[in-house]
Amino acid sequence: MMSKSFLLLILMIPQLAMISAAKGDLEFAVDGSESGYRKLQIEIYLEVVNEERDLEIWIGMPNANNTTTWELHSIIFARIANTTASTQPDPGTWYDDGWISVEGGIWEPIRRNQNGSALAEIVGAQSAAIRMELTGMPSGKEVRVGVLDHGANASRTFTDKIAELELNSINAISSAVDDAPPPPNTSPVLFAIGSIGLSLIALLATFRWLDAKDGRTSSRSAHLYIAPALLALTILTFYPVIYGMWLGFTDADRTHLGDESFVGLANYIEVFTASGFLRVTTFTLIWTVVNVAFHVGLGLVLALILNQPNIRGRVAYRTALLLPWAVPSYISVLIWKGMLQPDGILNDILGTNIDFLSNPSGARTVVIMVNIWLGVPFMMMSLSGALQSIPTDMHEAARVDGIGSWSRFRHLTLPHLKSAIVPLSLLGFIWTFNMFNVIYLLTDGGPNLWFGEPGSTDILITYVYDVAFREGAYGIAAAWSVVIFMMLLSFSWIYMRKTSAMEAVS
Amino acid sequence: MRSALCLLIAMLFAAGCLTSTDQSTHPPAAGGNSSTQLIQLETQGELIIWHTFSADSKEEDVFIRSIAEFERMNEHVSVVITRVPYSNAHTQFMVAAQGGEAPDLIRLSSDQLGEIGEVRVDGFPLLEDLRAHLTPMDRSLFDERALHAMKYGSELLGLPASQDCLSLLWNDALFPKGAARPHDNWTIEEMLEIAKNLTAYEQGPEGSKVSQAGLSLPVKVPYWWFPFQSGFGGRLFDEYGSPSLNSSGSAESLEYLFDLEQKHLLMHNGTQRENMKTHFLNSEAAMIIDGPWNWATYETVGRLNVSQTLLPYVSSTGERMSPLVTFKGWSVSKRSQYKESAVELALHLTSVNNQRNYAIETYTLPTARVLYDDQRITSNPVLSGFIEQLQLGTPAPTNRAMSLVYGPLSTAFDNVYSTEIAMDPNFALQAAQEELISKLEE
Repeated sequence: MMSKSFLLLILMIPQLAMISAAKGDLEFAVDGSESGYRKLQIEIYLEVVNEERDLEIWIGMPNANNTTTWELHSIIFARIANTTASTQPDPGTWYDDGWISVEGGIWEPIRRNQNGSALAEIVGAQSAAIRMELTGMPSGKEVRVGVLDHGANASRTFTDKIAELELNSINAISSAVDDAPPPPNTSPVLFAIGSIGLSLIALLATFRWLDAKDGRTSSRSAHLYIAPALLALTILTFYPVIYGMWLGFTDADRTHLGDESFVGLANYIEVFTASGFLRVTTFTLIWTVVNVAFHVGLGLVLALILNQPNIRGRVAYRTALLLPWAVPSYISVLIWKGMLQPDGILNDILGTNIDFLSNPSGARTVVIMVNIWLGVPFMMMSLSGALQSIPTDMHEAARVDGIGSWSRFRHLTLPHLKSAIVPLSLLGFIWTFNMFNVIYLLTDGGPNLWFGEPGSTDILITYVYDVAFREGAYGIAAAWSVVIFMMLLSFSWIYMRKTSAMEAVS
Repeated sequence: MRSALCLLIAMLFAAGCLTSTDQSTHPPAAGGNSSTQLIQLETQGELIIWHTFSADSKEEDVFIRSIAEFERMNEHVSVVITRVPYSNAHTQFMVAAQGGEAPDLIRLSSDQLGEIGEVRVDGFPLLEDLRAHLTPMDRSLFDERALHAMKYGSELLGLPASQDCLSLLWNDALFPKGAARPHDNWTIEEMLEIAKNLTAYEQGPEGSKVSQAGLSLPVKVPYWWFPFQSGFGGRLFDEYGSPSLNSSGSAESLEYLFDLEQKHLLMHNGTQRENMKTHFLNSEAAMIIDGPWNWATYETVGRLNVSQTLLPYVSSTGERMSPLVTFKGWSVSKRSQYKESAVELALHLTSVNNQRNYAIETYTLPTARVLYDDQRITSNPVLSGFIEQLQLGTPAPTNRAMSLVYGPLSTAFDNVYSTEIAMDPNFALQAAQEELISKLEE
């Protein structure tokens, strides 16, 4: 028994000596108020640094058992002077900063490695102070900070270190708060609510004025009934259009959204002077006209064939022809993309090895053909319905009179179909002009042969997507969108006037 | 009419109340007793995380398990997971962040950080600088190169969870007995010779077509060009970080790359990423240049006997082809209300244990230094081979130029590749260089 206690005492003596030596020439203080979010600042004062030594900084946090969990935070190596003076990074550019003052001199930055070690060049100094930022501290919570000092390469057990830290550590709180951004700017929301409200008031007031003008006095409550529909219309249609138009006059982009500034017509000037503007507009028109012409032409031919009284299997044909319309367009387009690859089924059938999408002319032809394939069923179905509404007795009378089939089509069928063809082709024009899926999924606008310009198969709407979501130029994209809108509005207006479309519909 | 106006005023009033409620729950920017409030939020947090792993993939499975583990360890925190497409995760994040709807945590690639790092909303960046959140010991976990790649300027915008690069994969079953095989000290001429010997053709009505590719890669994708460019002595950026797309060797490497498909006919015409994968899976390609991300598919779906070899040397320059190394990691939104919890979750997802799980189960290459020497990693030929390839790779710089370089290069490649245009590679790369510089000056 006696010999065991004696042995224990002998083993403890070196440990006690080490702890007291560490306390002897080392003091430290911790400040959590000024150092920044999740940071503490520690200052360590050393006397007579006559050997290389390692200073370990430990952080203790209270755990669920009301004890402290200690973790090594970082290590400072006190080493021979001027070893790394030339590699010191500037303060603020590293992960965290440290400074040193030797014998009361000025504070100089010291080098700190990624792995947490810092190199303080102080061996031989009579006194030194080291100031370090301690990162990774919990914000607003008390922690314990301790410093262990031992010679280079000295080793102690973890238990010994914890025992020493429990005795020789101080409490600190990182009280600096996060420089968090302000709450999301609510002015766009208020702007939206305000403009929607004003639009609604304006619409209701207009109806009220029209009623008063026409002498309708008993329809006041009707306005309340249609108010929900008007509200939906203002939210879903008027407001986005007005907001888009507003964006077109601002410098909104990825770096200025929410705090954009008014730039007048600068975006419109950029649109009209953009290299590639004429080319992409021309291809958009070609794309639209060719597609609509084929949609209406092929749709009409197929509708006429299916309208023949003696045709067998009409339902089966109609079902088969409707399939491209019934399947979601993005799936159809992706299947087409696979079929058009050099090792796709089309090349297998043809026995060729052609990369249809790598050359501009091939890619343009292909995107138009795929869109024709997609658009014909709708026209066919719509025109089939219109054909069935034409009275058959007129055709029979013409046939009895000996009028040929072409003349019957030219002078009987076509005039009767005008009321359907005109609005359908107008609708088709608008849809095709803004058809995004086919080009985006098939070629993504490529091949891109012009630097900073639309690709070979880009149309206006796919290019606007690139400008908005790849380049992040929201203001310019909004200006492009307004230009597209104006083009479609002008075309629709002229088309309706020329074809008296509204009369035809009525 | 009067009733309608009353209704409208009531709605506007309600909207105003909602707005003011929203403001009152947000912690104040500075001063006051905000730290107490922050602790309360920390203890009641619901973290929203966006990941970019493929649906139902092994990676997603490991990810979901590690999130569940985090929730078990931190009962007060619940995590809401959303999957977003990898290719436009950064743009979706930017739009969401500008609208105040950003997730707390998002998985981003180091080459996407340059673009996000530029953006400011109300003068604030979109991503949190993580430097203050990590202790030096936290940082010491990571390979210094990986950590540096997640820095934009001086700010640390993410914790690196994985890294990847291209290497050469080959299907031993397609090599005839006694035929030369790829080896670690081979040259590009040897690679070409081996590929020629392994390419097979079938006769069609319009001429011969490749039935088995000796070497397959998507030649039009710039990411696959980068190793060739470096092997031929070219560099994307010079030592000052300025674009050098027209540097010596770049045009030569581009010509060489396209010749593999168009002149030597080593692969199917117009090979893209998915074709390459399909051909390899179907044993229609003997060698491919690919990353580790498809390895599990090749082994489990294709049941292939896949081997990996370092990319070869280019004899004329003596340089080894050096693939671009990109890093993927977890970034915290600047506007997150639960930053400390979000950082804890990022640390959990990048911990040694989690990285080891990812590596062993999915062949994801770790960034934790200690795992480079981990016996379970070093004994795995795929992981150790790719880690060796990584050491020979070139980390993608995290700057704006890197995020902009793909556009001009794609245009240059289309011009050179197109048989209608067939532009000289020197002209095309010169034009790409000028375009990139003008974009950087905007």
